[in-house]
Amino acid sequence: MISQEARRDWFEQLLQQGTTAAAEIDEQAWLSRRRSQARAELGQLPLPTRKSENWRYTLLDGLLGQTFQPSNEAFQALLPEDIDDWLLEDTHAYRIVFANGRFVPGLKSFAELPEGVTIASLQQVLRQQPEMLSIWFGQTANHSQDVFTALNSALMNDGLFVHLARDTILDRPLEVLHLNLSVEQTALIQPCNLLVLEQGARAEIIERYTSTGDSVYFHNGVSEILLEEDASLTHLRVQEESPQSYHLHRSFVSQAAGSHYHSTSVALGAKWARQELQVRFQAENAECQTRGLYLVGKDQFSEQHLDVQHNTPANSSQHLYKGILYGACRAVFDGRILVGQAAQKSEAHLNNHNLLLSREADVVTKPQLEIYADDVQCSHGTTVGQLETEQLYYLRSRGIKLIEAMKMLCSGFAAEIFADMKNEVLRERVQNRLDTILVRALDETSGEKHV
Amino acid sequence: MLSIKALKANVEDKPILNGLDLEVKPGEVHAIMGPNGSGKSTLAHILAGRDGYEVTGGTVTFKGEDLLALEPEERAHQGVFLAMQYPVELPGINNMVFLREAMNANRIARGEAPIDAVNFMKQVRAKAHLLQLDEKLLKRNVNSGFSGGEKKRNEILQMLMLEPNLAILDETDSGLDIDALRIVAEGVNALRSPERSIILVTHYQRLLDYIKPDFVHVLSAGRIVRSGDKDLALELEEKGYGWLEEETAA
Repeated sequence: MISQEARRDWFEQLLQQGTTAAAEIDEQAWLSRRRSQARAELGQLPLPTRKSENWRYTLLDGLLGQTFQPSNEAFQALLPEDIDDWLLEDTHAYRIVFANGRFVPGLKSFAELPEGVTIASLQQVLRQQPEMLSIWFGQTANHSQDVFTALNSALMNDGLFVHLARDTILDRPLEVLHLNLSVEQTALIQPCNLLVLEQGARAEIIERYTSTGDSVYFHNGVSEILLEEDASLTHLRVQEESPQSYHLHRSFVSQAAGSHYHSTSVALGAKWARQELQVRFQAENAECQTRGLYLVGKDQFSEQHLDVQHNTPANSSQHLYKGILYGACRAVFDGRILVGQAAQKSEAHLNNHNLLLSREADVVTKPQLEIYADDVQCSHGTTVGQLETEQLYYLRSRGIKLIEAMKMLCSGFAAEIFADMKNEVLRERVQNRLDTILVRALDETSGEKHV
Repeated sequence: MLSIKALKANVEDKPILNGLDLEVKPGEVHAIMGPNGSGKSTLAHILAGRDGYEVTGGTVTFKGEDLLALEPEERAHQGVFLAMQYPVELPGINNMVFLREAMNANRIARGEAPIDAVNFMKQVRAKAHLLQLDEKLLKRNVNSGFSGGEKKRNEILQMLMLEPNLAILDETDSGLDIDALRIVAEGVNALRSPERSIILVTHYQRLLDYIKPDFVHVLSAGRIVRSGDKDLALELEEKGYGWLEEETAA
């Protein structure tokens, strides 16, 4: 158990070291203000401990026991062939690459964009159109809520910026590759992403978080997503980071009337991963649909946090998360939907299902619905189970080998998550990856009796 | 082809089979009838290799090999197929993908090349057509939302695709209306050949109007108490199982 003091020092030290790294941005007054606020708050905010509800099931000692240095290196020298392995083939997507949270100009795949579309790095925008940022920045991500968000805000220096002007349709998907590498030191990597879709705009964004080999680093990312009236965003997110890495990412989504947010996220990697999604409806008739899959194996910790608030009427939100746990590991699903008094005619569904393939797997599932309105359609549910003996027998009786049968059932279990993933290239890649991980894991544990 | 000698088996320490003997030669069709609880389904599952049965005595050899020593998938590779009484649903597994995986698993195990997509599609279509199975069902997940009759026809479709040496049909007729029964029977008859054996496990004589067995056996309290030709089935239909049980007891 790490002492309170040591925890405070851990943040303090990162803050100290980060000062130089962040200072290279030519600061706007509003940004400096924001930064120093976050810095001040960081010293006062409660530290994450098992005593607070929000961190109750999170294993934190590993993260807080490790030292990190804010990443200063800009990987300007990366060449297209260096990232070949990570690229999606045949998507015809617009591509932009970040290495350790910093934009890599040489790896951008496009020279021109349709009118009304801005895809850039935060630094570029800060240099060229800082006023554009000041309108949107920090609207949804509240750094006075949590130390990690405050840490991100205090040291913020780059990230993805996407802006679609009114009624603009992004004609191709945007592929964002977040490549993390720790070369000599264990890096703190803190991208700060801002996605703004103005009224009626539409886009599909594919974000991939990946890394080289066994790099040790802490990714502490924040994404703000602002959807104005009738805007529509399809957001696919795949986290397949190094097995020695720590990955915390928070997404804050704000939805205006009639907007749609469809998100599919897949968490496969990292030693320690915690993904948070906060959704706030600002007006009526908006829709939010999230699908999530987490695959957790030996020595991994993987956590999903969902915090959705319906405080205005007639919004719909549907959330389905599934987990496959295949070794001595822990997974946490902590989802909460609040339907406030004013939120009549709301529809909210929250479901979490877990498949345990190992006796040593440990899952905590906590779907919560809090309803204060009376004319609503809401449901929530959770299951924790194993592979069905009868289904395995059925497959095997048709000549399919045990491991293959297990893999098929696991893939079948996960299939619902991908059902709406229209990007076939990505879907196939993720499914193949899933199959590879499962077959390897099932082979290794075939001595263990699964059923 | 199949030789069962003095087979004894328990389910949860309760004896279900009590010394069962059965010889099935290539090309033969055997019907196994008997009242509820006589051990018919247990026999079918023991042959297919389901967990949860304890064989306490006797032997089962298939093509000269000890069948009981094999895993369920190995039995399939040897050519054993069981059309289940209650086929399970397989969520998220597409019926067509499943069929192809199954077919190729068997082919690869037998040292044959996997079937190509075009050939596979042609075969599935033709066989689904024979069974009057809606092609839409091929695109759905295995047995998900299928009616009872559709599940049974899907079993027969798998059987036709896998072309087993020994097909065991466990109460395939139950829950089928007369038209569906005729279609399923046609499917089974299409598979009959001098190299292939079929065991029909059934409660009623009705199925045997459409699939003519060479032998009929009556199973009672885990043993075959009477064997005959198809006339035995008619006799059973008329008199019920009661008389046989009384006779056996006497």
